[in-house]
Amino acid sequence: MRTPLILLLTTAIACALPAVLESGYFINVAIIALIYVILASSLDIMMGWTGKFSFAHAAFFGIGAYTAAMMQRSFGTDLWAHLPAGMAAAALFGVLLGLPSLRLQGHFLAIMSIAFQTVVYLVLAQWTDLTGGHYGLPVEVSPELGNVSTFYFVTLGCTLVACLFVWFLTQSRFGDTLTAIRDDETLARTIGMDTNVIKIVAFAISSALAGGAGVLMAHHIRGVTPNDYTVMTSATIVAMVVLGGRGKFWGPIVGALILTILPEVLSDLAEYKHIMYGALLIFMIMVMPQGVVGALTGRKAK
Amino acid sequence: MVSDLVLLPQFLTNGLVIGSGYVLVAVGLTLIFGILHIVNFAHGEFYMLGGFAAVLGSQLLGLPALPTLLVVAVVMAAFGLVVERVVFRPLGGKDPTNAIIASFGLSVLLQNLMLKTVGAEPMAVKSGFAPGAIQIGNVFITAERIAIVAAMAVIVAALLLVLRYTWTGRALRSLSENPTVALISGVNVRRVSLITFVIGSVLAGLSGALMSTVFMVQPNSGALIVMKAFIIVVVAGMGSIEGAIIVGLALGLIESLVAGYMGNELRDIVGFLIVILVLAVRPQGLFGLKTERS
Repeated sequence: MRTPLILLLTTAIACALPAVLESGYFINVAIIALIYVILASSLDIMMGWTGKFSFAHAAFFGIGAYTAAMMQRSFGTDLWAHLPAGMAAAALFGVLLGLPSLRLQGHFLAIMSIAFQTVVYLVLAQWTDLTGGHYGLPVEVSPELGNVSTFYFVTLGCTLVACLFVWFLTQSRFGDTLTAIRDDETLARTIGMDTNVIKIVAFAISSALAGGAGVLMAHHIRGVTPNDYTVMTSATIVAMVVLGGRGKFWGPIVGALILTILPEVLSDLAEYKHIMYGALLIFMIMVMPQGVVGALTGRKAK
Repeated sequence: MVSDLVLLPQFLTNGLVIGSGYVLVAVGLTLIFGILHIVNFAHGEFYMLGGFAAVLGSQLLGLPALPTLLVVAVVMAAFGLVVERVVFRPLGGKDPTNAIIASFGLSVLLQNLMLKTVGAEPMAVKSGFAPGAIQIGNVFITAERIAIVAAMAVIVAALLLVLRYTWTGRALRSLSENPTVALISGVNVRRVSLITFVIGSVLAGLSGALMSTVFMVQPNSGALIVMKAFIIVVVAGMGSIEGAIIVGLALGLIESLVAGYMGNELRDIVGFLIVILVLAVRPQGLFGLKTERS
């Protein structure tokens, strides 16, 4: 139980950030970093723990964000209604992608997920009546959340809940079944695990968390445009997980923090950030495939 | 409805041109993905680089069409050689997801490197052919488009001959059937793998060069093409070159008809729906024999 305590402690320290960082700009960076922590941790449920590769995480991120924008346009709802709805919508699409993917392994799963990502992007960008096309849709934030510090605390709370959830999920019996599927799916099925149901549930959970992150993002940047949810965004999330370390609780968290904060600190390099992500992915895979956290904690797992 | 049918020959012709471009990219990917089992998400960037190599040859060096294609082939062969040696060979044999991630990183890297060096503006490749469309019946077609179909036919025919009658071609086919037995029978698997990868990247580059005479080239040109190439390889069945030719042409025709009769915005989605359907129903692909899924 040490990890949840460290997590709570870290969150408590993070609560002091708005007081320390006077500029709203850095609070904005911190909010983005937290959103990516949720994204990377939830992708790791699939990539690290279940060993199923996905390049579609930004699609679920986008589905959550667009659910928020479209609900607000039609019903005038606020963040608290959007969060469960966005998560449910993303989970639903996760199951939709998961069902035809059940029979697929490795290569084919990666292709299927990237095809799904592309379809979602094309729909967001081209179904103008529904999604606003390339211009996207605006999102208004209710007045009590309008202050950037308040929104930071909301995001921090959501991130804490998401991380704790991922921790308890991966440490639970369900988490053990995920690891069993990762290590040997045939064996897992042989000893009586219903691997299809487990994989679908894991997919739904991972997608739902990404959808929740999307709702937060839509409110944070006060709108949605399809270009925020492209395959490049998926690549960024994959890069975070790989950099931090697959299948380690702290891996994706560290990866997400490094990759969102580093380009801001070295702001001259911000325009080169995608080049950096690309080079970093190749470099990490060749030199340190277990990730930063994996290398630091020794080679216990895998 | 009658007026719609008048346009049918034109749609079919357009589909044939686009399909020819797909065939070249997809046959290259069949070699790399279907036979070497390397999931190269950067294959679309090879296509894009081929387009820019053609811009280099035709615009900057002012070369005519055929020497430009030669420049493209040489540049892409060298590039493919380096990528195989530096990225994919060291990763071979280990966890296959590592190569997937690395190729994805390569794709992101190449796209954004080109974005920084040449900018996002689309560039055209000058073919040097006479401008203006030729009318055949009620079909209008430009010389560049005819050249794409002709070049595809020549290149694919040459490839099939090489595969059928040369030592390397035989070695390659044996490799696609069973790498272990090929190795035992004295095939230099490393050398043949390298050659296969190089041929695949040259084919992608040539396709990019040819298609850029009609559709222009920009740093993200390859992003959608690579997905369609994967669709074609998967639908055709891993490693089936003839299948990739048929499915590549068919996808071009289907897309053109869908765009013509059902709306242009559906053009790019139809292929993805087909692949999801095929993978769910017949995972080995239409022309694949073995049930290979991983």
